[in-house]
Amino acid sequence: MNGTRLLVGPFNRVEGDLEIRLDVEDGQVSAAYVNSPLYRGFERMLLDKDPRDALTLTPRICGICSISQSVAAAAALGDAAGLPAAPQGALVTQLLHAVENVSDHITHFNLFFMPDFTRPVYAPHAWRDEAVERFAALKGSAQHAAIDARAKLMHITGLLAGKWPHTLAIQPGGATKAPTQRDRTRILLSLRAFRKYLETHLFGAPVESVADLGNADALMAWERGDLGFFLRIATDLGLDGLGRGCGRYLSFGAYPGADGPLFARGVWVDGAAEPLDTSAIAEDLSHAWMLGPTAHPTAGETLPDEEMRESAYSWCKAPRLGGEIAETGALARQVVDGHPLALELAQSGGVLARVAGRLLEVARTQIAMERWASALRPEEPFMHHVDLPKSASGAGLVEAARGALGHWLRIEDGRIGAYQIIAPTTWNFSPRDASDQAGPVEQALVGAEVRPGEDSPVAVQHIVRSFDPCMVCTVH
Amino acid sequence: MSQIETFYDVMRRQGITRRSFMKYCSLTAAALGLGPAYVPKIAHAMETKPRTPVIWVHGLECTCCSESFIRSAHPLAKDVVLSMISLDYDDTLMAAAGHQAEAALEDTIEKYKGNYILAVEGNPPLNEDGMYCIVGGKPFVDQLRHAAKDAKAIISWGACASYGCVQAAAPNPTQATPVHKVITDKPIIKVPGCPPIAEVMTGVITYMLTFDRLPQLDRQGRPQMFYSQRIHDKCYRRPHFDAGQFVEAWDDENARKGYCLYKMGCKGPTTYNACSTVRWNEGVSFPIQSGHGCIGCSEDGFWDAGSFYDRVTDLTQFGVEANADRIGMATAGVVGAGVAAHAAASILVSAQRKAQSKKSQSEEA
Repeated sequence: MNGTRLLVGPFNRVEGDLEIRLDVEDGQVSAAYVNSPLYRGFERMLLDKDPRDALTLTPRICGICSISQSVAAAAALGDAAGLPAAPQGALVTQLLHAVENVSDHITHFNLFFMPDFTRPVYAPHAWRDEAVERFAALKGSAQHAAIDARAKLMHITGLLAGKWPHTLAIQPGGATKAPTQRDRTRILLSLRAFRKYLETHLFGAPVESVADLGNADALMAWERGDLGFFLRIATDLGLDGLGRGCGRYLSFGAYPGADGPLFARGVWVDGAAEPLDTSAIAEDLSHAWMLGPTAHPTAGETLPDEEMRESAYSWCKAPRLGGEIAETGALARQVVDGHPLALELAQSGGVLARVAGRLLEVARTQIAMERWASALRPEEPFMHHVDLPKSASGAGLVEAARGALGHWLRIEDGRIGAYQIIAPTTWNFSPRDASDQAGPVEQALVGAEVRPGEDSPVAVQHIVRSFDPCMVCTVH
Repeated sequence: MSQIETFYDVMRRQGITRRSFMKYCSLTAAALGLGPAYVPKIAHAMETKPRTPVIWVHGLECTCCSESFIRSAHPLAKDVVLSMISLDYDDTLMAAAGHQAEAALEDTIEKYKGNYILAVEGNPPLNEDGMYCIVGGKPFVDQLRHAAKDAKAIISWGACASYGCVQAAAPNPTQATPVHKVITDKPIIKVPGCPPIAEVMTGVITYMLTFDRLPQLDRQGRPQMFYSQRIHDKCYRRPHFDAGQFVEAWDDENARKGYCLYKMGCKGPTTYNACSTVRWNEGVSFPIQSGHGCIGCSEDGFWDAGSFYDRVTDLTQFGVEANADRIGMATAGVVGAGVAAHAAASILVSAQRKAQSKKSQSEEA
């Protein structure tokens, strides 16, 4: 088995296109190279356009996390204008963003991640029949319940933003929709219905009891709902040790409120929290088919290397924080926020930790959404008038479902002079950098089992999907 | 076996009851604008016709069309439409991965040669020999040509496949190209919008599967049943347009009153789509209802038509009002006497608001 090489891809049930090259030795992955084979050039199209066009163009980077892109674009424009959004408009934005993030988590768990356990390779396991019944692609009973619950939760995006995906209502000054009392009631009802789905299907118990899980033992003892079923599989397959991360977590801080974000901003390095220094972010292009020096996004450019030089292997740039890789996502957010369960999960930091971190966040966010909806005050202003300056620069740093998302823009002469985006999957699925440091997923894949005859190793599938990649955002 | 399987067989296998099946048929008829007389026809077709296989491929895109599709409020959509079309190949949702998935695609093409519908989400970038979108080691444009060769018909989902959409925005870095410019020898039905409305997608696909033919198309290749009217024609804020009542600034007094968004750049007057009737997210709302103008995302070239917040200034090609400030002065040519009378009535209101109109005209200049 020495020295074989595998090309895994295209990956299905991930957003967009992905291909991974694996070096395999003695039945294990010894090195991984992640290729994002899709490039569209958004950063180039934005140049010289009306800055407000970013509000329409950037959401279309991704049909799954379009609100995250809207929120980041609006935040960057608001930062450039130096004006905060109307507080009630910010609340609407926050609610919309949370609805999308929670929906993404639900989609990931039910449609993208769990169906892998229905594979024939798991036929000998006692839980496999149940996995097929509940999670077979497009057929499973849990999938149907989830799709239904998610569509109903999305009524909130319909009400507050007119349409989803590709919402227009989120603006630097706030939100275009001033909800009425009736809207507020309908939102609360939609949230109540979603809670019912969570408590009947996903958790099988009150949302609070998941949010309050204090340690990994309490989690692993959970038997109810789809969560309990997943944990049964995770225990059987040892998913806690599979695909361990780099242990460095990054969060831009999610849902900024008047008294700080709901989930804290910061980095987690070597078991301790540190403040985030955004000036330490730089994108390395050594292994990307992009031209230019390593640069902070305020100075970065997007010049595709049409020669597709041999030394590179992806369209994805390699973002680094102080020269080091960082993992981002729901687990990272919960770790940086200091949730006791997440901190214990981070000690293994593998497939189990990422999936459980996501479900923990669903529970915590549900509670916050209910609070925010109750705080809507229809009589107050929802949007300030914002005049964009002729020249200015701004940054919009937000947390998408998959992690830290940043937009950096410069306005020159009333037009967009520069626009750079770093998406969560850009961090997680980055290629190597100039010092040959592999990206987070590339590192997490090392050691994954490749069974004899497997050309699309199931362990690799679990690890890759545990990050919930969004490939269209990655390169954009 | 699956070659003689009917839709009804597939649905039965999914555990769908006869009652639900009949309910589905009647709601489908309603959704397609067909009378109750069509219900038995639909039921009969579904009981007797072999189901039509669908291959769904993704090029340069953002998956928003799939996202829209799976949230359809179409009756029983989550059970019926998905199982009915069976999505023999769909790389976002299917179980298989990697080589298995590629093999599934080949199998489907081979097995249903000349008989399947190819649904395309996204489009092929042609620059650099298609290197900006690689699927299974090959440019997407190759996969598209290959899958199209033996297809019975092609559905171009969304603005990407139909027109190019935002990735074709100047300078179109990858030369993103709509499907009909690459595939020229197959019937193509365009279902534009970014994304298209879920119910429009399920409606189109149900029609094609049930009646085994394309719905009636307009000159641009869009199904007439959903794209024959402007957003403006059925907009619930239309009376305010006619009355000359406009939102002047975000969240102003007029916005709270639900006045017309024309002056905020709404493209409803030039956009053909069903948003103002079918609405979004299970009929909850649509962009104009959320206080933001329409950006015309179902129209060709919407992404490069100037700022999304500039107002539509010239509507004369449609023979309707020149613009809202001169409302009633233009003749209502093609739309008939009813509208002309309506417009005449608007002149009165318009005159009352003359001062304001003048002011905004000078602002414009």
